[in-house]
Amino acid sequence: MNERLENLRARTRDGHFRRYRQAHGPDLVAECDRERLSWPRRMARLTRRLCEAEQVVIEPDELIVFTRTVATVPAVYSAEAEAALTVGRTLHEGGLINNVCADWETALGQGLLGRRRVACETRARMALGGNAEAIEFLDAAIETIDAVLALAGRYATEARRLDKVDVASVLEHVPAKPPRTFHEALQALRLLHAVVWLSGHHHVGLGRLDQYVWPYLASDLEARKLDIAAAEELLAEFFIALNRDSDLYPGIQQGDNGQTITLGGLTREGRAAVNPLTWMALRVTRDVGLIDPKINLRITGETELALLELATDLTRKGLGFPQYANDDVVIPALAAHGYALEDARDYTVAACWEFIIPGRGMDVPNIGAVSFPAAADAAIREGLADGASFDAILARTDAEVRRQVHERAIPYDRLLWAPAPYYSVLMTGALEAGVDHGQGARYRNLGIHGAAAASAADALAAVRRHVFELGDVHPAELLAALDADFVGHEGLRRRLADESPRVGLNEAAVDDLVRLLYDRLADACEAEEPQSGAIVRPGTGSAMYYLWLARGRDGVPLAEPVVGATADGRRRGDPFGANLAPTPGTRLRGPISVLQSYATIDYRRVCNGGPITLELSDSVFRDGESIRKVALFVRAFARLGCQQLQLNALNGERLGDAKVHPENHRDLIVRVWGWSGYFCELAPEYQDHVIARHLYAAV
Amino acid sequence: MTSGIVFDVREFTLHDGPGIRTTVFLKGCPLACTWCHNPEGLDTAPQVMRSPTGDRTVGRPYEAAELAEILSRQAGILASNEGGVTFSGGEPLAQATFVAEVIDLLPGVHIVLDTSGYGGKDAFVALARRADLVFFDLKVMDPLAHRRWTGQDNAPILRNLALLADLRRPFVARVPLVPGVTDTNENLTAIAAAVASQPTLVRVELLPYNRAAGGKYAACGRTFLPGFDEDQPLNVEVRPFRSAGIEVRVA
Repeated sequence: MNERLENLRARTRDGHFRRYRQAHGPDLVAECDRERLSWPRRMARLTRRLCEAEQVVIEPDELIVFTRTVATVPAVYSAEAEAALTVGRTLHEGGLINNVCADWETALGQGLLGRRRVACETRARMALGGNAEAIEFLDAAIETIDAVLALAGRYATEARRLDKVDVASVLEHVPAKPPRTFHEALQALRLLHAVVWLSGHHHVGLGRLDQYVWPYLASDLEARKLDIAAAEELLAEFFIALNRDSDLYPGIQQGDNGQTITLGGLTREGRAAVNPLTWMALRVTRDVGLIDPKINLRITGETELALLELATDLTRKGLGFPQYANDDVVIPALAAHGYALEDARDYTVAACWEFIIPGRGMDVPNIGAVSFPAAADAAIREGLADGASFDAILARTDAEVRRQVHERAIPYDRLLWAPAPYYSVLMTGALEAGVDHGQGARYRNLGIHGAAAASAADALAAVRRHVFELGDVHPAELLAALDADFVGHEGLRRRLADESPRVGLNEAAVDDLVRLLYDRLADACEAEEPQSGAIVRPGTGSAMYYLWLARGRDGVPLAEPVVGATADGRRRGDPFGANLAPTPGTRLRGPISVLQSYATIDYRRVCNGGPITLELSDSVFRDGESIRKVALFVRAFARLGCQQLQLNALNGERLGDAKVHPENHRDLIVRVWGWSGYFCELAPEYQDHVIARHLYAAV
Repeated sequence: MTSGIVFDVREFTLHDGPGIRTTVFLKGCPLACTWCHNPEGLDTAPQVMRSPTGDRTVGRPYEAAELAEILSRQAGILASNEGGVTFSGGEPLAQATFVAEVIDLLPGVHIVLDTSGYGGKDAFVALARRADLVFFDLKVMDPLAHRRWTGQDNAPILRNLALLADLRRPFVARVPLVPGVTDTNENLTAIAAAVASQPTLVRVELLPYNRAAGGKYAACGRTFLPGFDEDQPLNVEVRPFRSAGIEVRVA
């Protein structure tokens, strides 16, 4: 990081670029109504008007430009008209395509003019067949292409006027034409990506950057147009720029914006895909030290240890990434769920952890959660009241899981995406087929997460141990204690919590239940038949559900059931473990047994992702030898056949101090569930949970 | 079958030997170093630790086979990641029969014995022989000062130290640097002299004093009385070792 980059970074963190924001954005409803525009044309008009409204910002030290100046995304219909248009339909997170990854390789490789030619050719073909719908879509797509080209042109003109020749010559070429250099590739990507955000989409991923950008860097290096240091400087500037407008991006909390990059892994043909840009991207994110882009690293049991050491060095920065995905497990799982092998090899990670296919995926990877604790709790209460056997309680748990999956999936039979002409330009095959990505994408599956399996397995294991094996807890006593939230039953609560097998200790007497829960979830998903041939993908994440399923969601209605006290000795309101993590408060021996507990899951059956989540004290990373051991640990994770791993480096003292003196810790970054955020910007309950997780990790 | 009292089994202990390791903390120690940071390891018997988050019983008996079974379940991972099992404490020599039996039940896995060196000759030989590497603490060389700061004579320690050569066991000499107590040039020079001629010495590690040492005393129902000024600057001096040709690291 040289002085120029340090300066850019500081200005980005200070919110310096927000000074360019306009007080008001364009108003579109009247215009669209007046012209009686169709929905696709309205969405194209949105992209166009916002591009037109953008004011050009070029600061003297910038090499990669674009600063967003329009802060809001206007509606294209009045509220009443939109309600009429979407009545009876399910709009996922607002209805604009989100949490997918574009085919950046093709978008760069063809340039916008190339994409425009494709659109025009398809339009001519569709005109012959009289396909009005396709023509409408393609005209809309072409309108957005022209809008982005015009915006780029204005940037180029201003750069020329400022005598910034390097910036001007880049923008006179891209994104219209295919990049000739690494610099042009990054500039094109910056603009193409930013306009997706501008158009109202959210969780806009960047996918396999080290794959689709590498050819441009490789040719620059070979032609000696660029050396490694200069390339790193450009990449750093690009990464810093991704943090410039991110306060405008919607999410549950600031930082939850899905600007992820997935590095490494295999090519579509099955060759090892790690290249010098993979290493460079890890180095540069480490040195930049900002929350975007969030890094996923695809590994296998044979990944070179040096790469894992570099990745661990990034973990040490406390950014909450990289997150690891194990190709040995993920690719077969995707293939087993109907993804073509070459597409499975090409997977990237969505905003949090779900595996999606760039350009071809329109999966909704998070339609909701199955509360395993609620399912187990209902089964335990009914079963004990009826005098049922333990097997009968398991069968009831299974039925309850099926019921929840079905409930979550049903509304998605009526899923409706708003037309997305611009995003479709960037997708594989949409222009070629003349069909919007929302309707025509190859993969249109649904993802659902089985949350808090540890707590459910612990509860079932405690019942099996104490009610059915030892007989030292009477069913009526347990039911009374659960109803009373264990008030007056502290001895029983301790026995259930402390004298039962617990997930995370590599004990077959409970880990078999974790596997069983996910097998049953997979069965339940297979039993679903959503419309249009989609499947329901089971996953192991929890997102925000590790809190919501335990306490509800502060006044916001929640489709999923909220559970009270549970038979693992957990009191009402106590949070669950995030993703695949033991129940908070479990006396663990350490991370090896945790991996072993979760290695029992049949990951071929759960392809929606969701990481084993571990916090390590930052003292763990203090020297090269320790870094190597953490790298060995990551490799052991892959060799054990686990699927995904999130490691967080935490310093408990600093977290505590940051809560009291946020002004001294503005840069402190923590991983919250699938994403990282600035600690001081998190709501207090999330801060408390992060602190509690650390205290428990440090015990 | 022998049983022993263990106060913790902790995985992924990064500073207890090579590779990925799991450390077994044996409860009970014949020494009473005033700076001990594991006061729950001093008494042999299980005890209750009290804290704002509730009471917790520390230390539980294990049958040797039971502990060996837990460790064996992960032995493959430890072995394939350059690591193994470390026996620490407390003082493993105080439960040598139990520890030896556990080690004998483990599949081939690298063993580190982390010891104060204080114990009977037979106990020491039994465990050192089973260890691939010994972490041997050396604290204070002056016998009177040793008694004052640890409550025991250091003669058995020095005798056991001398056995390592015949046992052909590689060892790392570990020196807790306690301000004004062990970190004097005189003491460090004496330690260097004691280990310089040891043919199986791998290196010396200096472990700077941790101000958190007193943290757990209240929970154990004890009072932390270090008897030295914790605030005085530490003398992290490597020259006595370097000049004797000994590899030295500051941890």
